[in-house]
Amino acid sequence: MKRFLIACFLCMAVANVYATPEQDRLALREFFAQRFPDLDLNELINGLYAFDEGARDQWLEMEDFPPYEIAIEEGEEAYGVSFANGKGYADCFENGGIGIKQNYPRFDPDSGEIITLEYAINQCRTDNGEEPLPWLTGELAAISAYMAYTSRGNNMNVVIPDDPRALAAYEAGKEYYYTRRGQLEFACENCHMQSAGSLLRADRLSGMLGQATHWPVYRSKWGEIGTLHKRFKECNEQVRAKSYEAQSREYRELEYFLSYMSNGMELNGPASRR
Amino acid sequence: MKLKLLVLVAAMMPVLLLTTSALAADAEAYKSALAIAQETIAEAESKAQMWTTIDQLLEDAQTAAASGDFDKAVEMVNEAKLHADLAVATAEKEKSIWQKGVPK
Repeated sequence: MKRFLIACFLCMAVANVYATPEQDRLALREFFAQRFPDLDLNELINGLYAFDEGARDQWLEMEDFPPYEIAIEEGEEAYGVSFANGKGYADCFENGGIGIKQNYPRFDPDSGEIITLEYAINQCRTDNGEEPLPWLTGELAAISAYMAYTSRGNNMNVVIPDDPRALAAYEAGKEYYYTRRGQLEFACENCHMQSAGSLLRADRLSGMLGQATHWPVYRSKWGEIGTLHKRFKECNEQVRAKSYEAQSREYRELEYFLSYMSNGMELNGPASRR
Repeated sequence: MKLKLLVLVAAMMPVLLLTTSALAADAEAYKSALAIAQETIAEAESKAQMWTTIDQLLEDAQTAAASGDFDKAVEMVNEAKLHADLAVATAEKEKSIWQKGVPK
């Protein structure tokens, strides 16, 4: 009896420490609901514009002729070009690659790897004898922008299958998000949860919820469209932490966690930001 | 005349030897400080906690060493080690407390 009670106690303790991904997601939504009681949480897919009316008005004006429009056109054109072996991107993805971004990142049970959309695009190229494209900007970001555009309006639907490797990847991404790093000792959480909606110098900080729905993004600061991993690198370097390579295991796991947190939210990429 | 020159060289010898040995000691000090720093830097790297400042400090140290300014080189390397020490400390502290930020 005594052993049974101890086992029960340990199970409860473990359950308390290790929440399931779905418990994490619901707790995060509750955190933002309490923090911003007057805000429709679905507005968080618009990042800082959910908090700042003036900036939102300017952004909506820009949306009449959005700066990412050229990238969508270039991406569509590049997507349609056949590889040297006669195959194309459409052969690598379900539904010909149209309207599927909500399912990425996904866990690949064969390799045990997390596959982001950009990773899958380059995998498609190398599987068909083509050179991979640079990860951060340019043609890859444009193709990703086109694929995101065809997925607009779909709800994020990242799946963590019943596989310990998938859960481990999710947990690694979660630990990365909440771990302080760099000379400034900031975690992603410090800016995008504790300080979400606040000003950091001249920039208003976006919230973590909905943070993965609108990529790739045309940032005025960059003057071009870039991928989420470009932003990961930039965020890390802003707190003076050495960044990882784009599409490194660490960043793919981080994207897996971050995207799962936005499950059920509408995809609205590509987007423009300051 | 030859004797005078011999005396002069003999008188200068300790100074020359001292200068050379001081230079060698500085270069050695730099090498030794670098080896110690690199150990800590590798630890910070393995704990996924490298700072962007470290590479720059090592680069500055290398430039100083190349120009013979070993005092500055050692100073830069020691600074890099200090940054790596602090990064490792953050890694160790965070291992046990990162979960506190997760909403329950």
